[in-house]
Amino acid sequence: MKNQSPTNFNIWVGKLKEAIVKTIEPPIGYAINWGRIWSLWPVHLETACCSLEFGAASGPRYDVERFGIIEAFGSLRQCDLMVIQGTVTRKMAPRVRMIYDQMPDPKYVIAMGACAITGGLYFDSYNVLPGIDSIVPVDVYVPGCPPRPETLIQGCILLQEKIKYTKFR
Amino acid sequence: MSDIERLNSMLPNSLSVEESREKGILTLSVGPQHPGSGHFRLIIKVDGDIIVDAEPDPGYVHRGEEKMCEYRNFMQNIPHLERPVIADSCSILYPYCLAIEELLNIEAPRRAKFIRVIMSEINKMIFELYWLGIYGIFLGHSTMFMWPMADRELLIDLAELASGARVTHAYFVPGGVRNDLPDIFKDRAVRQLKYFRNRLNEYSKVFYENPLFIDRTKGVGILSREDAINLGVTGPVLRGSNVPYDIRKVEPYDVYDELNFDVKYMKDGDCFARAYVPYLEMYESVDLILQALEKMPDGPVRAKLPPNPKGKVGEVFKRVEAGRGELAYYVISDGTQKPYRVKLSVPSFRAIPAMRKLLIGARLADMPAIYWGLNYWPVEADR
Ligand code: SF4
Repeated sequence: MKNQSPTNFNIWVGKLKEAIVKTIEPPIGYAINWGRIWSLWPVHLETACCSLEFGAASGPRYDVERFGIIEAFGSLRQCDLMVIQGTVTRKMAPRVRMIYDQMPDPKYVIAMGACAITGGLYFDSYNVLPGIDSIVPVDVYVPGCPPRPETLIQGCILLQEKIKYTKFR
Repeated sequence: MSDIERLNSMLPNSLSVEESREKGILTLSVGPQHPGSGHFRLIIKVDGDIIVDAEPDPGYVHRGEEKMCEYRNFMQNIPHLERPVIADSCSILYPYCLAIEELLNIEAPRRAKFIRVIMSEINKMIFELYWLGIYGIFLGHSTMFMWPMADRELLIDLAELASGARVTHAYFVPGGVRNDLPDIFKDRAVRQLKYFRNRLNEYSKVFYENPLFIDRTKGVGILSREDAINLGVTGPVLRGSNVPYDIRKVEPYDVYDELNFDVKYMKDGDCFARAYVPYLEMYESVDLILQALEKMPDGPVRAKLPPNPKGKVGEVFKRVEAGRGELAYYVISDGTQKPYRVKLSVPSFRAIPAMRKLLIGARLADMPAIYWGLNYWPVEADR
């Protein structure tokens, strides 16, 4: 064809790519999100007393493992979930960020406990951050002081729900 | 010689940077993110497999409890004071309540004293089971995590029945306890504690006679009797080093002098002894609770107090035996509704000098056993 300019060709290729992505995105995205939902590995980062209920949640009575959250014994490099278990102090905050930066993408954060959300009981303490939003982006907030293991499990299920409807990148 | 100098003279000198470079010594930073209990860092220098220097770095959970006490009144201090160790939340409030009672010049009713003994022993067991479970994680023994965690839930149910909360009970108040025990408590407690005692017999077979556990703890981190006394460790660590010292016997508070129990101790001073003493104490706790349930009289559980009580001018020092050792409060009051100064003296913090002493010269693989064996609870130590 005579009027086949490079611009037209590029537009055509772009449209083709869009069409391909549109057709294969739903199944592949669904498959990948499904994989992510059922294999959330939390980092073992304990910041304060909420870690106790986190331990209880992975214990035999509550057993978060049945929801696809695996116990937190793994290495940082294979984790994709960070559960901030309570108060983050000024000494801990840089470390929390450092750990978050070392995790591979995609990564999710659950803020567990009143302290992680707003500072909780320690809102007027000189050494406590008023919430962790200022250092890491939070996906799910789990209120309570400490949250009961059931609440934590509900938070995890909410996170899975969220992952399910996120667009695959 | 001052106390600090004496303590320093007992500990080995740390290495300078040049020295360690010359000797080819590797510096490792363990924590604050590590597979055991986090929020604590150890800076360790290793020569091959042997630890030549260890520097504990606490302070990751310092939340300023003592300062916060100064701008809340006596009653408002209760919830945040139990947060440093929510696994043992009754024991950490116990000395505070005793101290404030003395400042306010009131006495808890007799029934409340028995209830306090019951709750603090239940909490002690809850703590010891949690501690044992995490010890299992440190030693790579999953059954040891699962079993205590499962049995702990039974005791948590009991505590929940009495107070309404799983771990943070805020159940002890100056002047008694917050509310009376429900009617079904006694039957339920007797049944569950009998079951729990049978379970404890099984623990001995599965954990304490387990070759894995014995290999990793027997003869590891030996703390001699003299060192234990001089370094100021308390609780199961001290009793594991052949010192039968228990505040409940030495300085009985509430109704402990009316109840029969033995002070359990071990002679060896190694990690195994430190892990075995809490186990023996759980038997004693079960007995104590059963005795207290029998002897408990009827009556009120809380002394009457005005809404915002004022303390008398003065200072008090009270201590109790918690799950990790001796827990003391030093409260100064200037006659207002708020304490002038509250000092918490916690058992975990006193394990730090001993930790350094034990780690130096040990193998790197023994570090988890020594660290967690010292009954160190980072949140409590940092306060
Ligand atoms: S929310 Fe409560 S339990 Fe959790 S870290 Fe804060 S004070 Fe502790």
